[in-house]
Amino acid sequence: MNLAGIKNHFTNWRGWEMNPIVIKELRQGVRSWTVTGMLLLFLVVLFVTSIGFLLTQSFEISQNMQLGGSMFSAFMVILAGASIFFIPLYTGVRVAAERQANNPDLLYVSTLSPFRIIFGKFLCSAYIAVLFFSACMPFMAFTNLLRGVDLPTVFFILFFLFLVVCAANMIAIFLACLPASLPFKILFALGGLVASFLIIGSLVGLSFEFMRSGVGAMMTGKDFWVGTATTVGIGLMITGLFFVLSVALISPPSANRALPVRLYLTAIWLIGGIFAFIWVVQTGEAERLTAWTVPTFLIMMPALLVVISNEDQLSLRVRRTIPQSPVKRFLAFFFYNGAAGGVLWVGGILAATYSLAASAMVYFPKKVYSSPESSHWFATTAFYAFAYGLTALFIQRKFFPRRPAKLTGLLAVLLAGGWAIAPGIVLFFVNQLSWKSIDRFQPGNIFNVFSIRDEPDVLNHEVLAGIWLLVMIVVNARWLRRQILNFQPAVSGTAVSPPPVPR
Amino acid sequence: MKVQVKNLRKEFGKTVAVDNISFSFDSGHVFGFVGPNGAGKTTTMRIISTIEEPTAGDVLLNGISVCEEPELARRAVGYVPDTLPAHADITVHEYLDFYARAYGLRGKKRTQAIEAIEEFTNVTGIRDKHLKALSKGMKQRVSLGRALVYDPDVLVLDEPAAGLDPRARIELRELLLLLAERKKAILISSHILTELTEICNGVVIIERGKILETGTIDDVLKKSSPRRTVAIRLLEGNHHPNLLKELLQTPFVENARDVASEIHFELTGDESAACDILGDLIAKKYKIIEFRQTKQNLEDIFMNVTKGGVQ
Repeated sequence: MNLAGIKNHFTNWRGWEMNPIVIKELRQGVRSWTVTGMLLLFLVVLFVTSIGFLLTQSFEISQNMQLGGSMFSAFMVILAGASIFFIPLYTGVRVAAERQANNPDLLYVSTLSPFRIIFGKFLCSAYIAVLFFSACMPFMAFTNLLRGVDLPTVFFILFFLFLVVCAANMIAIFLACLPASLPFKILFALGGLVASFLIIGSLVGLSFEFMRSGVGAMMTGKDFWVGTATTVGIGLMITGLFFVLSVALISPPSANRALPVRLYLTAIWLIGGIFAFIWVVQTGEAERLTAWTVPTFLIMMPALLVVISNEDQLSLRVRRTIPQSPVKRFLAFFFYNGAAGGVLWVGGILAATYSLAASAMVYFPKKVYSSPESSHWFATTAFYAFAYGLTALFIQRKFFPRRPAKLTGLLAVLLAGGWAIAPGIVLFFVNQLSWKSIDRFQPGNIFNVFSIRDEPDVLNHEVLAGIWLLVMIVVNARWLRRQILNFQPAVSGTAVSPPPVPR
Repeated sequence: MKVQVKNLRKEFGKTVAVDNISFSFDSGHVFGFVGPNGAGKTTTMRIISTIEEPTAGDVLLNGISVCEEPELARRAVGYVPDTLPAHADITVHEYLDFYARAYGLRGKKRTQAIEAIEEFTNVTGIRDKHLKALSKGMKQRVSLGRALVYDPDVLVLDEPAAGLDPRARIELRELLLLLAERKKAILISSHILTELTEICNGVVIIERGKILETGTIDDVLKKSSPRRTVAIRLLEGNHHPNLLKELLQTPFVENARDVASEIHFELTGDESAACDILGDLIAKKYKIIEFRQTKQNLEDIFMNVTKGGVQ
């Protein structure tokens, strides 16, 4: 949409209509006995709890200064339980049912984009959350009259709880969108239930802490706002990540699924980096960068597995969108579908993170607990991960060229996992398996990097991983070059795809 | 609206689902798409409906390529899949309303479009019923209504008559003929070939992803059965033992045989040859009360040209 289009969109605000998915989902939600039944049950529980408190507690202020606080805590637990446990489950099951149904693409026959579909599902779950929150509101407002809790604390806790519910809803939508069979989805749901109990537990603990300290009193300090903004920012980033992942999952296979995900991850990497560097400059402590480097590493490792599982051959629709300009085409190569571009993208981000972190250590040496060991650990693990990934790509290309590309990621995991387990199994059968044997240097074992303590072994690992990676780069160089050269826009009007490119 | 399928090819891994097929049909035409299970019909239909992308080739809808401009092409196609709508907790009206909204119909235009479609597909009486509570026939009507709600020029129907009772089939057939009158270009796949013969102007017979026959129904019939079978019925008691022998000696007659109370033979000549044979028999005092050519139908042709192979 160009500037005139955006202007036109906002001038005609009277003609705006709600996302059709939201309307459909809400209509279904209102009719569904699951939602209405749960809401009624929720109200009954709140009512019975209130009655229980009022009948058993004294209203004498001198006797009970904390009645409001106690009631609020109880309501908070009930609300957290209902919203974190029920709403994500309901949302996830609904999305999964549509994906699992015998006609999964019926929703996608329309001109609705995957973005609008996922946004609609998310928005609907947020509306249901609002419904539960608003049902709880009168009870919570009542607690304020009984003392023991201040209004800022009430709103602050509710605001945080709502954000957590929204994030949980988004994760549930993502899990439901995963192309897994029903048993796997049931497993995901069970995992989600366990996770929601943990979230509820920690949230309740946190809210008790806020109630004890009183949010109103903390609001005057700068740290409170910085902490709140950071937490909210991280929460939104995580929600956004699962949002773009879900959009990519439901996009047709011929779409450029990688583009929004890689752009989003690059954007949050940049934003996170900027904030981390501001923090480093303010404190003069380079170690603060770990708040950026560690999440980057943790996200990029699974990202590497995903990108090596990309098909080499781009669909016609994607090829038609490759820019003509060489500079734009060069940039697009990193963000478009395809294993080669993906590997370079992950490599680029990790290399940039490592270089920037290393520079920061030089310029801000104060209180650096990020000893050389941690940088070795970072580099060695990254080297091994790339070496395994490129080895899997080579094996897939040479021995299973007709098999789907998603085999590559699995192959990399099997290689790394197999090589890590094999020595242990052998040692077990020769009766030599011990903690000491696990701690010992095991060449090629990516997990061994985390268990060894001797510095020479750490270096040995780094050198070995580096050499292996170099060999794999050489082995894959021709393929990589071919992929770069083949990254050309399809000529409009020719609907015939090029012959399959050998990987 | 002209729909042109050009050198379409679709591969799923090693399997070639659609192998370089080309055909075209126009507004006001009902085009039958026939083939055994696994022949590539659904894949082709999904490509035309922009749900799948071809490995090679293209489909042009009035010149709009489904590969180059799928969003634009999608607005021109109404797709009725081979499965029925099964959304829970939603009424017929709300279902149609959702799709009307999804296709960007707004305000009064949307209300009018939905009402018109409900009336056309005869679901006005059940508009407030839940989808799950509907019969197969009714669900099929709703599915057709969904595909029509934004008034597309092309309709792609995948096995719409499957599982319907005879009344529902007849009603569906009438709806399709009405739609053809409204200048929609319709592509329909079905295993009920007798019905297709009645409503289709043209047909494509496909097997293992390849086209075996294509053209107008008459052309395909003529092409695949140059010989006609002629049946003769004589007045009861007038059966003459020499008739079979005499017929076999007649030019353009082959394979004369007794079939029940009739005599059947293959006519290798044209219609004037049939006239000559009839004249000759009458001259020979045979009391003929019926002399008719039995035409092959789509079912016969389908059985002749296909081998029942799947991929």
